Amino acid sequence: MGLRIGVDVGGTFTDFLVTDDDGNAEIYKTSTTPGDPTIGLFCGLEKAAVHHGLSLDDFLSQVQTIVHGTTITTNATLTGDGAVTGFITTKGFRDVLNMRRGLKERQFEKYAPPPALVPRRRIQVVDERITVNGEVVTPLNEDDVRTAAAYFRKQNVEAIAVSLLWSFRNPIHEQRIREILEQELPDVYLSLSTDVLPQIRVYERNSTTALNAYVGPVLTRYLTRLQDELRQRDYTGKLLIMQSNGGVMSPQVAQRFASNTLLSGPAGAPMAGIFYGETHGFRNMITVDMGGTSFDVALIKDAQPTVTTEGTIGEHRIASPILDIHTIGAGGGSIAWIDSGGLLAVGPKSAGAEPGPACYGRGGTQATVTDAQVVLGYLDPAFFEKGELQFDVDAAGNAITEHIAQPLKMDLVTAADGIYQLVNNNMAAALGVVSVQRGYDPREFVLVVAGGAGPIHAAAIARELGIPLILIPRESSVFCAAGMLISDLKHDYVHTYAREFDQVDVAEVQALFARMVATARETLESEGVPEGKMEINYSADLRYVGQFNEVEVGVPGDGNISAETLTRMVQAFHARHDGLYGYSMQESPLELINLRITAYGKTFKPKQERYPRSDTDPTHARLGSRKAWFDGKFNEFAVYDGLQLLNGNHVEGPAIVVQPTTTILVPPDFDLICDDYQNYLVFTKGKDINELCKALQ
Amino acid sequence: MDAKVKNTHIDSIKVSVIGNRLDAISKEIGQTMLRTSRSPIFSEARDFVTGIFDSQLRLVAQTAYIPVLMGALPYAVRSIAETFAGDIEDGDIFILNDPYHGNNHPPDITIAKPVFFNGEIHFWSAAKGHHADVGGGGVAGYNPRARSIWEECIRIPPAKLYMAGKPNKALWDTILLNVHLPFLVEGDLHCEVGAVTIGGRSLVALLEKYGVDLLNTAIEEIFAASERQMCAVIREVPNGVFKAERLIDHDGINKDKMIAVRVSMRVDDEGITFDFSDSDPQAEGYINSTMPNTASSCFLALFTSIGSEVRFNEGALRKLHVIAPIGSIVNAAEPAPVTGCTIATAQAIIEAVWLALSQSVPDKVDAGWSRWCGPASMGFNPRTGRMFGDIHFMCKGGGGASKGLDGWEHLGTVVCAGGLRAPDPELHELINPYTVLQYEYWPDSAGAGQWRGGVGTIYRWRVEADDIAVANFGGGNRPETVPFGLAGGKSAPPHELYLRKRDEVIDVDVESIYSYDSGDVFEIYESGGGGYGNPRKRELERVRDDVMDGLVSVDRARDDYGVVIDPETWEIDHAATGKLRGLA
Repeated sequence: MGLRIGVDVGGTFTDFLVTDDDGNAEIYKTSTTPGDPTIGLFCGLEKAAVHHGLSLDDFLSQVQTIVHGTTITTNATLTGDGAVTGFITTKGFRDVLNMRRGLKERQFEKYAPPPALVPRRRIQVVDERITVNGEVVTPLNEDDVRTAAAYFRKQNVEAIAVSLLWSFRNPIHEQRIREILEQELPDVYLSLSTDVLPQIRVYERNSTTALNAYVGPVLTRYLTRLQDELRQRDYTGKLLIMQSNGGVMSPQVAQRFASNTLLSGPAGAPMAGIFYGETHGFRNMITVDMGGTSFDVALIKDAQPTVTTEGTIGEHRIASPILDIHTIGAGGGSIAWIDSGGLLAVGPKSAGAEPGPACYGRGGTQATVTDAQVVLGYLDPAFFEKGELQFDVDAAGNAITEHIAQPLKMDLVTAADGIYQLVNNNMAAALGVVSVQRGYDPREFVLVVAGGAGPIHAAAIARELGIPLILIPRESSVFCAAGMLISDLKHDYVHTYAREFDQVDVAEVQALFARMVATARETLESEGVPEGKMEINYSADLRYVGQFNEVEVGVPGDGNISAETLTRMVQAFHARHDGLYGYSMQESPLELINLRITAYGKTFKPKQERYPRSDTDPTHARLGSRKAWFDGKFNEFAVYDGLQLLNGNHVEGPAIVVQPTTTILVPPDFDLICDDYQNYLVFTKGKDINELCKALQ
Repeated sequence: MDAKVKNTHIDSIKVSVIGNRLDAISKEIGQTMLRTSRSPIFSEARDFVTGIFDSQLRLVAQTAYIPVLMGALPYAVRSIAETFAGDIEDGDIFILNDPYHGNNHPPDITIAKPVFFNGEIHFWSAAKGHHADVGGGGVAGYNPRARSIWEECIRIPPAKLYMAGKPNKALWDTILLNVHLPFLVEGDLHCEVGAVTIGGRSLVALLEKYGVDLLNTAIEEIFAASERQMCAVIREVPNGVFKAERLIDHDGINKDKMIAVRVSMRVDDEGITFDFSDSDPQAEGYINSTMPNTASSCFLALFTSIGSEVRFNEGALRKLHVIAPIGSIVNAAEPAPVTGCTIATAQAIIEAVWLALSQSVPDKVDAGWSRWCGPASMGFNPRTGRMFGDIHFMCKGGGGASKGLDGWEHLGTVVCAGGLRAPDPELHELINPYTVLQYEYWPDSAGAGQWRGGVGTIYRWRVEADDIAVANFGGGNRPETVPFGLAGGKSAPPHELYLRKRDEVIDVDVESIYSYDSGDVFEIYESGGGGYGNPRKRELERVRDDVMDGLVSVDRARDDYGVVIDPETWEIDHAATGKLRGLA
């Protein structure tokens, strides 16, 4: 074995977590280099090599695996900087992609629709038609394909997406189009709906296939460069790429299914939640990650992240399974304002990194959440002397006074407290979306907190929802990189079946499952996964006949379908429907819409070192105290240096624990202990922490 | 610190928090409906509204995917509560569809649940959505031949669908016995009941958390805040009286007679009054509007123009007044038929209000959106062995342009304001006996302008079964009813609809009944939206982009926009263009 490195290239920083066989972990951070992210990446590797007293080449020779989260495809999509993409679809259906189902999200406002991924001129139609039953009624007109290819050549198209009507019932026309395009345009990136998402619903399939084409060349170029650089340094270990579904994949698979990296970065957080939660045996958690402009929330049930097929990226639909990460515009830079009715509101507009909150002193004048934190005394410039930021307390106060306190005729501190309470509430509501609205009780979950500023809000959010326990990893600032390191290889497959239950042919279903399994095994094999490390989960999307949305239920067993299996699926469906939607109809006939498998290649999991327990007294880490406002009054908060706290140390609230990039607020009715892995547990005062942990396992 | 100031502050923050939470609960009710419905009209097209009312039956929060329903719930919930005053138990769930008992039109069945806490009603959780069928002689509720309400539907007065938690079996059976598609109707009633139940659960949690008094105080503050928002918005419109008229194609009975909606909009220090006293009398056919629908249409026109940032609740409505004389086209007297009003008549009302507003604040108003014109159909699908009923929601027209913005393509109708989700063509073929032949933009269908209208849609399909009943409804088939242009922008063309049978081609009209047989092809060319501003001022590159994308023809670029483009190279002939634009 050797070293394993998680690398998360974020918007501002590139985070590194290096672990060895014994569970030792090191953290490195470098600035992200957006022009060519490999520069920042190698800069960080160099830092790690220096720390180990080695040359970069020698250091890399000790590295067994690099797991990489990248925002390269996300940025290309959000900035409209993807490949020049062509799109081929069935004649008569040219505009389904750009119609976006005819929806305008903010119905009463005047604004322009999002720019198209593929402008109409580059959407070409071919004469062909397959029926609802998969029969060819109009054979493919191959001349149409060649005409389209000639046009695309003239337009210097770099990628082509192909998505035809009912192609998942019969892929023959899409496959023939691929053959022709491979002859005509051998260097162009191809994305076929039958490969990417053979699933019913035209717009959703078109959009996902188009996104895959749009980012395919971008990711391919990037990964080729990265692999070349690594090869030049004789790196012989593995490179794995983080996917939106919370798994990893080889660079080869990533290039074919580039759209699976659109949430590569944020997907690390729920996986990290699982990693840290495991030390206490927690299986049900809600992870939160508070950044500068947004707040990401994800729910973990039975140590599995929840997955959605209803994602969007930059207002484009992506229907492949991705981790269900709910995002709201509530970060440190979120701006507080007063609406025309005179009510206080926070976000979704953000001061961003530039100019940033008023207290950054970079020209920001609006009142932000961070400014409120400063005014309330949670962030203190005195403890950030060595840090890169110098907080301008007066600027924070002036911004809040001018924009909030004076118009609302209240004093500065109550205005700041209002901002703090309101953003906490919006965050709590976001947790409600992934829990209560999905049929889960948040009180049965542990709150796991990432990001530097998240721990200032965590206790208030937990109290709002009745969550009894908060886990804050000491390495919360490289949270996502940690998540990437423990992720398995993971591939999702879907095939639409769409039959009423009494017409389900058990052999047909079994054959479809078997075909998906064969593809999955082949892919995992190409990624070097031995047979014994492969694991396949089966599921299906069901609904009452005539409904338009499905509920996914697990398919028991190993893909061998029997009448008994079907019965158990039906029972599971009724129960889940009732929990989610308030009713079930036991007598009603069902439809089986999609068959799904998820294939895992289990990877090595780093150990987490357990430290010997020290006594409960935290006095040695005490830095002093300061006044901070909480629950309507100023309290004297004891201040501790987090890096000096030892496991077993028990800090009583009110207290503030500071680390170079993290501040943890322990309100008067909460306590904190440093656990056996030197992470923090924050919990309601007076509770027995051991019993609490046990109850939540 | 001044104690009084501090108290006010605590309220102000709590008010924001509670306001956000109430909005979230209303959305939760909507999400539940969306996910569990069986009728594509709910779950694909999102033709429903959900809301929360307080103990005084005031609208507190609402989620209206289809905004023409935005003002309709309060009438329905009040009617239910008044009918059963003193006879309401925990666990009761009420139903209503009769337009002469407070409902907007019969297919939009209202379901409402009183929310009890410590033995008293503190909230109502309510939903209202368009059912695939309500019986009568119509198709999916649309009967253009109806001359009275009895020919349109089964009439359900305010009634208990559940009594103290137990289903009222006699009523369920009566309803399901009187509709053509009991299978869809039963599923969607369950869906509405489930949704208001989920809403009720969350409201009880809210009551437990904050207590009755605090919630009531917060709600008063929310109303006051919305009222302040609305006042601020109205102040931006100069005081005065603004008049406008729009026409409805016809009522289905007298097909050569257009019907006028006339509004006199008075803006003064008291608010805005929409007076429809000069409108035509009620019609024989089913396009007569009801008070809830007329009020909703006015609100929609206002919230899509000057009021786009106002939080919609009882407080926002205090400054708005609607005068609609009984017996007129905007407030029919019993037993006139009314089902067509939410489309045909609502569109005319909204357009009239916009035209009135455009006289003083043209920058805030869109040019005309394409009116809805398309069929509902119902029959038996031999391939699935089931009855089906659906409205062909794919034929969405273009949105109107506004100052600085082109209209959105494929967005209409305005009564949905972009909330109507086009159904998926594959799911549509899976359930209905239709093969979709074409579903794409209709080039040259938008009104020209410095900002052009959004383009409309071509939607054609072949019928694969016999004896399918069809009701085509809406408007915009006549020169007088096309989407209007504003500020020098051009109007869009009328729709064109054809039913191609084996030996004839039928020009399809609005508010008319047809029948499909196997092999028939139905064709809809749904118009785009109206343009805004002089088309000759449109940026040259924008015109060229539209030509390259095939949305505007070379001929129209020359004739409407004064831009000459080479059809081979797509180069602009600047000399010829300058001449046409009068710049040479």
